[in-house]
Amino acid sequence: MPQLIKKGKLTDADGMEFVALDTWHADSGNGLLLQVDDEPNSEIAKAPAIAIHFGAFNDGRGLSLAVLLRSRYGFEGDLRAVGDVHHDLVHYLVRCGFTSYELPEGRDLDVALRGASVYSRYYQPCVAQAHEDALKRVA
Amino acid sequence: MYRYDTHDQQFVDERVAHYRDQTERYLAGGLSEDEFLQLRLRNGLYVQRLAPMLRVAVPYGTLSSTQLRRLAHISRTYDRGYGHLSTRQNMQFNWPELAEVPDILAELADVQMHAIQTSGNCIRNTTTDELAGVAANETVDARPYCELIRQWSTAHPEFDWLPRKFKIAVKGSHEASVDRAAIAVHDIGLGVKRNDDGEVVFDVFVGGGLGRTPVIGALIHDALPEAHLLTYLEAIMRVYNRYGRRDNKYKARIKILVRAMTADGFRERVDAEWAAIRETTDAVSTEQLAEVRSRFERPAYEALEDQTAALSAARLANPEFDRWMRHCVFEHQVPGYASVMLSTKVTGIPPGDVTDTQMEAVADWADNFGHGEIRISHQQNFVLPDVRQSALETLWREAKAQQLATPNVGLLTDIICCPGGDYCSLANAKSIPVAEAIQQRFDTYDDLYDLGPIDLNISGCMNACGHHHVGHIGILGVDKKGEEFYQISLGGNSHTDASLGQIVGPSFGRAEVTDVIGKILDVYVDSRTDDESFLQCFRRIGIEPFKERVYAATH
Repeated sequence: MPQLIKKGKLTDADGMEFVALDTWHADSGNGLLLQVDDEPNSEIAKAPAIAIHFGAFNDGRGLSLAVLLRSRYGFEGDLRAVGDVHHDLVHYLVRCGFTSYELPEGRDLDVALRGASVYSRYYQPCVAQAHEDALKRVA
Repeated sequence: MYRYDTHDQQFVDERVAHYRDQTERYLAGGLSEDEFLQLRLRNGLYVQRLAPMLRVAVPYGTLSSTQLRRLAHISRTYDRGYGHLSTRQNMQFNWPELAEVPDILAELADVQMHAIQTSGNCIRNTTTDELAGVAANETVDARPYCELIRQWSTAHPEFDWLPRKFKIAVKGSHEASVDRAAIAVHDIGLGVKRNDDGEVVFDVFVGGGLGRTPVIGALIHDALPEAHLLTYLEAIMRVYNRYGRRDNKYKARIKILVRAMTADGFRERVDAEWAAIRETTDAVSTEQLAEVRSRFERPAYEALEDQTAALSAARLANPEFDRWMRHCVFEHQVPGYASVMLSTKVTGIPPGDVTDTQMEAVADWADNFGHGEIRISHQQNFVLPDVRQSALETLWREAKAQQLATPNVGLLTDIICCPGGDYCSLANAKSIPVAEAIQQRFDTYDDLYDLGPIDLNISGCMNACGHHHVGHIGILGVDKKGEEFYQISLGGNSHTDASLGQIVGPSFGRAEVTDVIGKILDVYVDSRTDDESFLQCFRRIGIEPFKERVYAATH
């Protein structure tokens, strides 16, 4: 079973059900499951929670999709990374606006938990509120 | 040159600690080969044919004497006493131990250096003109923009996991004849110029590149204001990150996406993305740019006499010195100074290879005759950007003693060459022995000088690290049933008015290559008009006369 980490803490399953885009309705109360190559829009940003499925941990499309949901479509709910989530890449997820992730079996929970705070500051501002203190050196 | 502030230092220090932890976990079995691969690549470590190879970033090819001495020390302590200058202005070490790499990175961080993003599918070291900030024919100093891009692209949250590697080059001269950064063959090429109001703007080229599918980049934006450089780059990167192919690594570069969308279609996508970004993202403020610029200290130039009578007399008295002056010394912005190219292209030594002793000598010259700064050119030579003209003769004598004063910069034997089959696991054929054979055959200065400017570039495989597509003469190593063969192309050019070479015909065995080059040069010498360069001549007469000569004689 994958472990759920939400806002940097190991958490029990929160019961949110994620439904694929073709069967999802805005008023269903369900979370929305997106693939990394899905197109975002303002309608789907109304979902209470969105999960983005990474087929491979090094597929950066999921990061761009997350940034767009947060910065362009104003999505404010829980944004979850699922699928092939890698413990060494947690800091990218956090900075792109993910607020939770499912760590697959066999991944290193300790590394994942300390992963978001490996760096004190970055060069870029990012969409994540958690990193407001990142030095905004370049636009 | 750029000096780190506390944030820069803290970041590279934390990166070393992070990578040390990853290496330890890998060695303890906590990370698989494939997982570690992605992490080590982003810290500069390849595993090559014989040993790991560590590529150290030299941002836009600029080094201090302290940094170069540290590289010499690293080569001596962790390697075999030499390093290799790459065509992307970096330095590579061919023999480090994987377990020692974190220590090497810590040694680098100590002197404000790193190996971050020198490999892997991410934004690589931004390159520029090796004479940026000192060239007499410069419009704008490109280095602060390169530094801005370096900061922006370092561990970028969104763009560190791209479909494929990504290379950006910036040139600071708008003069048609000057492009020492080869911007037409980069994923993004930025040409800096000033608009009618004197403001800095950029011409943005996208989708150029070499490799299996060589392409000259397409101009997709004319006169981009400097304040929007990063928002526009963000738009390009996002379109590429989302739509670039990930199913086939040979079709994953941005050039393939641009071709699939067409340049106009790609431009429209980028413009739409850019318009949306600008609604929420601030442009780079003048203060931010000024802050970056302020970290490049301008050297304390003295008021010196230019082109003194003593210098002219020394040139007249010593033809060998004069030759070196003519080919290796470049005009400087400041009177009384010059920029010097120290050629590494000595017959018998792999192009770009430099020993620890040479590195230390270069560092000493930079301190003694200039302002402690060194550059690496994409032609794999060292450059001393600021040399007092009065010191040129002394420098020449000392450089000669270190085998760094071959007067062949820009000439046939100033060969760009990848490490090839001697070192690289991707190579189909060796490249270094081919370079050496050509250098041996054409080793007299009079011949070289008579032939004039010729870029001869050699790659050991179609990944094209030796830039063979844009050599006036290009040589590509190919594998034919397990044997090394070499395909020759003519008419490539990496400078302004860039072009890709045309293949002469069927490939040749290694033993034939030098003779073939000889025949090609004979055709040029026989056909040229008075001042016509090899490239101009080729463009006038076309490939047929070369083809006829080369194949007529072999059969």
